[in-house]
Amino acid sequence: MKSLFACIALLLPQAVLAAQPIELSSQVFVERKVAKPDGKIAVILEAPKTVVPGDDLVFVLKYRNVGSAPANDISVTNPMPKAVIFNGTADGSEMVSVDGGRNWGALSTLKLPMKNGQYRPAEVADVTHVKWKLNQSLSVGSEGNLIFRGKVR
Amino acid sequence: MTSKLKLLVTSALSTVALLGVNPAFAADLGTDAGTDIDNTVTVNFNVGGTAQTAETGSDSFKVDRKVNLLVSETGNGNTVVAPDASQQAVSFTVRNLTNDTLDFLLSVEQPTSDDFNVEPTPAVKYYLDDGDGVFDAGDTLITYIDNLAEDASVVIHVVADIPNGLVTGDLAELILSAQAADKGAGAGTGVQGSALTDDSGDVDDKTEVQNVFADGDGDGAEGDNDGSHSALDTYEVAAADISAFKTSTVISDPVSGTTNPKAIPGAVVEYCISVNNAAGSATATNVALSDILPSTVTFVAGSIRVDGTVTSPGTSQTCSGGTAKTDTVGDDEGELDGSTVKATLADILENTGSALIFRVTVN
Repeated sequence: MKSLFACIALLLPQAVLAAQPIELSSQVFVERKVAKPDGKIAVILEAPKTVVPGDDLVFVLKYRNVGSAPANDISVTNPMPKAVIFNGTADGSEMVSVDGGRNWGALSTLKLPMKNGQYRPAEVADVTHVKWKLNQSLSVGSEGNLIFRGKVR
Repeated sequence: MTSKLKLLVTSALSTVALLGVNPAFAADLGTDAGTDIDNTVTVNFNVGGTAQTAETGSDSFKVDRKVNLLVSETGNGNTVVAPDASQQAVSFTVRNLTNDTLDFLLSVEQPTSDDFNVEPTPAVKYYLDDGDGVFDAGDTLITYIDNLAEDASVVIHVVADIPNGLVTGDLAELILSAQAADKGAGAGTGVQGSALTDDSGDVDDKTEVQNVFADGDGDGAEGDNDGSHSALDTYEVAAADISAFKTSTVISDPVSGTTNPKAIPGAVVEYCISVNNAAGSATATNVALSDILPSTVTFVAGSIRVDGTVTSPGTSQTCSGGTAKTDTVGDDEGELDGSTVKATLADILENTGSALIFRVTVN
């Protein structure tokens, strides 16, 4: 956490930081299938040790109101890292973009132009951004998680 | 705040624009080892009606090296060789299925369950094919595979000598193993790297590219997930199986002429030396014969014939035809060298025979 604060401090001038009442963190886990002694396969989440193409990742975004006033109209935007394919969220409440954040919607409603001028349905591999809109206000001290899955290209 | 927002959007767009042309995704073996995965989240919200933005980055980690390779025999079936042949090649394809450019170290195994081993053991030579898939003068002698890009493959000819004293059907199995190695210092071109070690059980190092072995089990001693793969090819001996018979026929004698001639002094005798190659054998080439004449006979000048026809090879064979050759030494395939008749026969195919025919008179 210390490093995260340092990171934010680098990004934002001190005066602005003082005005930031929402604290954000992003964590990544790797999903591993582990054979248990009884022969069953357990799926565990671990910190990214060795990560190779094809590995399943779980991104956990934590947000928390550390300010002194409720926050409203909260939206959380996560551009996909270049090396990661979007692989759905925990509850499907997200909006996605397949064109760098210009148009947003559920993946099934999005289309991409093809070379011949026609349009094709967008696929998970096309997703460039994920966004959540939180309908309720976040009171002081409240926190929450947003979770989405990805796969290393 | 508005200006900062604009900046964020701009950077996001440029990221997307890069996506299509980034060489990190050029091959279909996944993200290149060493690529950073760095997740950035932005939150927008209002406090008291004023828009706010905050941003954070996850701690970054590197994509590691998924080490995989495939060695396979090129072409089907055995490499057919003759006994004592030198520079005989078996050919393999080595494909780099790793998400990184690597060197590959080469070694061979020779199982003991087969009939013979090729020579010299184990100092066989490796040649990098020049693109035609055939071992020839255009290929390059190598000791390891240098800088093989991801999903690229090369054809390697393993070249060895065949010992003598083998018979048709003898087999020598040879296994080529390739071991994944780093590409060497710097760009790695022309620099032999060190064999990789598996880091999959190690503790995390997010800042280093670690190795995860994901290769299969080949024909050799190596196994699954050890950074090596191997394949087997076989040398099969096709020897010529030669038998020779020498018979003589009295053509005429000074008393009876050609009617029931007897081998009396002054009689003309025709020798036939037949050479026969057994069915299923390799073609016999450069078949050289020499026959020392006894002092009791005198060579009939100009009587050498080569490549004659043999009927019923054996002690009761009959020989006919053939091509006349001069007695002069060195001018053609037949000669009288002192008191030795020498001849070289044309290639003898399997299940056929050929003959050297000449005449003498009895002293």
